[in-house]
Amino acid sequence: MAASLRRHLTGYGFILPWLIALVLFIGYPFIAGFYFSFCDFPPLKSPAFIGLDNYAELLEDAKFQRSLGVTFIYAAVAIPLGVVLAITLAMFLNARIRGQSFYRVIYYIPHLIPTVVVAILWLWIFNPKFGLLNIVLAGLMNLADAWTGLFFGLGAETPGQGFVRPEAVALLAAPALAAVSMGRLVPQWVRRRPELKTFLASVAAAGCVAALVAILNAALHFGLPVDAKNLHSPGWLADGNPLPSFASFAPSWALWALIVMSMWGVGQMAVIYLAKLQDVPVELYEAADIDGANWAQKTWQITVPMISPVILFNVVMAIIGTFQIFAEPYIMTGGGPEDKTRFVAVFVYDQAFQYQRVGYASAVAWVLFLMIVALTVLAFRVSQKRVYYAGR
Amino acid sequence: MAASDEKRGPWYLRACVHAILATGALFFLMPLVWMMATSLKPLSETMKYPESASDVFFGVGHRATVDGRRHEVILEREIKPAPDKPFYVVRPREAFSAGELWLTFGPETWTKFAVFNLQELGQMNAQVTPEMKVLADEKNRFDPGAGVLTLHSGRKVPAELVRRIDPSADGSPLWVVREWRPADTDMREVGSTDREVTRAWDVLPASRITKTSRVIPENYPIALRRVGFLRSLINTLFLCVMTVAGAVISSVLVGYGFAFLEFKGRGLLFAITVATMMIPFAITMIPVYLLYRDLGWVGTFKPLWVTSWFGSAFFIFLLRQFFLGLPKDLLDAARIDGCTELEILWHVVVPLSRPAIAMVALFTFLGTWKDFMGPLIYLNHPTQFTLSLSLQAFYAEHGGTPWHLLMAASTVFSLPLIILFFATMKTFIRGIAMTGIKG
Repeated sequence: MAASLRRHLTGYGFILPWLIALVLFIGYPFIAGFYFSFCDFPPLKSPAFIGLDNYAELLEDAKFQRSLGVTFIYAAVAIPLGVVLAITLAMFLNARIRGQSFYRVIYYIPHLIPTVVVAILWLWIFNPKFGLLNIVLAGLMNLADAWTGLFFGLGAETPGQGFVRPEAVALLAAPALAAVSMGRLVPQWVRRRPELKTFLASVAAAGCVAALVAILNAALHFGLPVDAKNLHSPGWLADGNPLPSFASFAPSWALWALIVMSMWGVGQMAVIYLAKLQDVPVELYEAADIDGANWAQKTWQITVPMISPVILFNVVMAIIGTFQIFAEPYIMTGGGPEDKTRFVAVFVYDQAFQYQRVGYASAVAWVLFLMIVALTVLAFRVSQKRVYYAGR
Repeated sequence: MAASDEKRGPWYLRACVHAILATGALFFLMPLVWMMATSLKPLSETMKYPESASDVFFGVGHRATVDGRRHEVILEREIKPAPDKPFYVVRPREAFSAGELWLTFGPETWTKFAVFNLQELGQMNAQVTPEMKVLADEKNRFDPGAGVLTLHSGRKVPAELVRRIDPSADGSPLWVVREWRPADTDMREVGSTDREVTRAWDVLPASRITKTSRVIPENYPIALRRVGFLRSLINTLFLCVMTVAGAVISSVLVGYGFAFLEFKGRGLLFAITVATMMIPFAITMIPVYLLYRDLGWVGTFKPLWVTSWFGSAFFIFLLRQFFLGLPKDLLDAARIDGCTELEILWHVVVPLSRPAIAMVALFTFLGTWKDFMGPLIYLNHPTQFTLSLSLQAFYAEHGGTPWHLLMAASTVFSLPLIILFFATMKTFIRGIAMTGIKG
């Protein structure tokens, strides 16, 4: 009996620091925060219970609702985009070519840069006048416009007015037709030379891309002249207008800027996917090869299901992370323009430390927490049938 | 060869993958390259739209030969050719206050006074003495016939002609230039908007000015001084040492407890531990802040490192998983030999778990080095600022104009982490794989 008691005590002794942390730094704040959310808590005074008033105010607070909207829009765009990009990158990084460790390091490096540096560096990159992005973008857009101008009258003076040269459409459709007919109309002497076939296929593919650029750019000029004009020199972080301009719910230019910036750190996620990709048993692919599966089938039927637990994990972590985004908007925009980048975490910080409204800030934080829980449960529910756990 | 090709796929596919990965890598590296490129540019070059692709990464400078010596110069303004308005370089015969000049300087006065606007010059009470050469133009008129320099203030000073500059000598435009000096990269320049009244050093035809690229390492010491680098570095390193030591010691102890010791409620406590990873920082932030405020710790370093000595859920989880993978026989053997649990931990488990412990240390170091919100909330005096906070404060103070200095400081701030990454690559890669396994 005494020995068993000692054993238990030793165990508790080892985890004692963590027990203290659980109570003092997690349990107590968790419950205290919950209590504060029902209180009026002015600075340097003790909290006074006011019932649901804080929550009632939340329902009316347009600024809070805007910040919630911003956070959700960001999550809805950035998370799926990040997952797709990271998996794609991981697949490329998993390809059997020389120099992979070099590429892996390069893509991982942005994750090492401190948040404040990332924020200030990208502020400079997004600088509308002298920033790297707009310098590069202006060059690319001028090239695209010149190319598109060969086929379509862009009406530079009066945006939105232009004409289409009929022969241009035919010319643009040609590479696509060529690519489609590649398989059927290729003469025998070409077929016998695989290199030549590849070369012709790449030429057709390049033609398709070029045609696509021309058509998309023309569509942009005819359909959304405002956006087309903006694309030559966006205001990025200073621009609160939605992109595309016809959809009021779409992310603002400022939010797009933050999304683009977050994609710079996608390498870290890709490396995690990569670790999982390398664990996928080769036998599965070999079996699929014997069954005659093509690349797309192997990807959808083997790769994606096998890494699905990591996808779920990353999505859940991303949801939690999105609700905590603070440093970037705080440093880069301070929440502006017109609250278009005032993420909820920034809102909580403002309320708690700027306006000293501790009770109200606690209520917001709790709403946040409940949303995270709900979204996480949702993610698990949705994925229940789609996530494959080996051995279960 | 053929066999390995078979395994690696056809050459054109491999080339394609290479092309895509290389292009992507270029885009991923571009911001960092630009950060360093900006950090080596002169201030004036960061505020100019690049004329060519190379201007994006290399600052443009100008060089001129005056009196047989080559000088680095800055072009101040262009003067349209006007044959009836010549410039003179003159030598005054009596002393006067430099503030009485309009287009202030000449070759020697610029070098000597080196100020950026008239107010500063007035405050200095600088004197132009007879041995100095002065530039005369339409504002400070010189009459070559009478040998009289009429200053902007209206005073007349006898002066002797040294050199006459004809604005249309060879048809090329003229530039008012000044010599470039390392101090130019400091931000004092930013505030001065009255370009016309300051900083003339000489007037030269465009044909005598050649374009070069200008790399300015002087940006670095100036940026570091402005950011208060040394102080912030010491603060940051102090916090790093405290958090790393705390996180390693506490997480190892707790991880060992959860992995090998049996006690009531272990499973439940561990489940709670894992669940706490889901709680966002914003929830606990306010009450914890109030707790520290009541302890009188706000405005000290304590809130930033004390918590790490009580363990962190993520590292406890990670270490427990790692410990469970160790051969259990070794522990049992040690127990039979009569070792206490602490002895087993120290002599058996720790030596076997070096990679995992190194990972905890590394990730804690990175986390502390990069942390922004913690220092922002708890520190309020600039002498306590960490690197993150100093950099942000420097940015906020100047509204983002001295980009060359900001980028220089950013480079220095990021470099240790990149070096650390390359030095500890093995631990890093293992750590990333381990965090990935969690899913």
